[in-house]
Amino acid sequence: MAKILIVDDEEGIRMLYAMELQDEGYEVITLPDGKDLMEVVETQEPDCIVLDIKMREYNGLDLLQQIRRIHDDLPVILNSAYSSFKVDLKAVAADYYVVKSSDLGELKEKLKVALETRIPQK
Amino acid sequence: MKAIVIEDNPGGVTQSDIVVGIPSYNEAPSISVPTQQADKGLSKYYGERSAVIINCDNHSPDNTRQAFMQTATKTPKIYLSTEEGTKGKGNNLRNLFGKAVELSAKAVIVVDADLRSITPLWIRNLGEPLFDEYHFVSPLYVRHKYDGMITNNVAYPLTRALYGRRVRQPIGGDYGFSGELARIYAEEDAWDDSVGEFGIDIWMTTTALRNRMAVIQSFMGRPKIHKPKDLVAVVDDLFPDVVITIFELMCRYESFWKEVKWSRPTAVFGFGMGELEVPPPVEADINVLSTKFGEGLSQHWDLYKAVLDSQNINKVEEVASLPSECFEFPTGLWAKVLYDFAIAYKTREVPRDYLVAGLAALYYGKTLSFVLETQAMNTQQVEEFIEDQCVQFEKTKSYLLERWFTG
Repeated sequence: MAKILIVDDEEGIRMLYAMELQDEGYEVITLPDGKDLMEVVETQEPDCIVLDIKMREYNGLDLLQQIRRIHDDLPVILNSAYSSFKVDLKAVAADYYVVKSSDLGELKEKLKVALETRIPQK
Repeated sequence: MKAIVIEDNPGGVTQSDIVVGIPSYNEAPSISVPTQQADKGLSKYYGERSAVIINCDNHSPDNTRQAFMQTATKTPKIYLSTEEGTKGKGNNLRNLFGKAVELSAKAVIVVDADLRSITPLWIRNLGEPLFDEYHFVSPLYVRHKYDGMITNNVAYPLTRALYGRRVRQPIGGDYGFSGELARIYAEEDAWDDSVGEFGIDIWMTTTALRNRMAVIQSFMGRPKIHKPKDLVAVVDDLFPDVVITIFELMCRYESFWKEVKWSRPTAVFGFGMGELEVPPPVEADINVLSTKFGEGLSQHWDLYKAVLDSQNINKVEEVASLPSECFEFPTGLWAKVLYDFAIAYKTREVPRDYLVAGLAALYYGKTLSFVLETQAMNTQQVEEFIEDQCVQFEKTKSYLLERWFTG
């Protein structure tokens, strides 16, 4: 069972995503911000991160750079209410960018693709 | 391998941590700009390290050598050249690979000789990741939507679908690579005349990906501004070399790319450079593209019947019949056309020059479609359009796998 880490400062979003993704057969863990993100990534070893961008004290784009410095091969899907952050060059390092919607169809599709992605390693 | 017949090394340089290479042919009026900017970048960001700037030239008759050697720099310079009559960017870079290995370089940075927008920061951004854990640094810069058409419609989507990494400028021409990768390049036997010419850029990117070297993309901060070329001249000069090299490497690396599914981003470097400049406009003449497409279709129709899958040739016929006001060459069809041509290249039933000339005519149709579809789009919208195209190439890869491996 793939393990998905949801990082979002809105409790309602975390609960909705957890419920919907658990129904899809994923194991879901959540974080309200980036405070313990790197520790959780190390200890919980998620298969994919769904990362909000605009959080109260944290910027998801900066957190993405932190993740990439250590985990080049960990899929990260940026998930924001705003499409405007797509133009930020830092977003290039994300696997996908999904604008938040009440319909989680696109997010689920990108999650599936991100988890299926395969590139031969050394 | 082409022998270096001319080497001018007035400083007697025998070792260098960093090598900046500037490949050229008849670039006397422009080579001083990248040479001076490279020198400033090396002094500013790598003052503690040994460095050399190398012009690797094709024995240019326009005094490129003198223009380079007479450019005032603090950094020592070396001039290398192929033998007289041997041209090609790839042949120049192959000389550079060998020299970089000989100098025990840890980092090699290559910039085009006709670059006008290069700043010292480019040298830092292409070089710094090589002293971390990365082996190949590819540039990220803003380009006008009609600049880099072969990149946008062929090299980027194909490289991404085949090798699984999103290297946005796989034939950008400006790179950084490690000493280890320089050695791999110098010793690589997958080399032919197209690689010796303009196939070198896609060859370097593909070789890095195929060897699973750690890849990073680096923001240059300024747009790529270089000697302007019109779209038809680019097809004549670059298209055959780029396409032949891609197809040749597909044959060689089939066991690698058949295992690749979807794609992943790379790490990125070089933020915080303020507002991005708008690149200068590139003209796209719709009438010329339309004429080239129409003429090419008539000329190469027999080839298409032999190469394209029956459904695809029907679709191409349908596209050709569209009125100009609603002309569109669908990306899914374009991906299948490229895959059909790659398969024809593999079987060697059609001479490769004839094959690529036929594909170039269809490429004009795809370019025309790209221009029409993106006419009203800004840079970011075009990037999203290209992203969608790439996803379609990835989705269509199953078609390639089925035809390539089962016939």
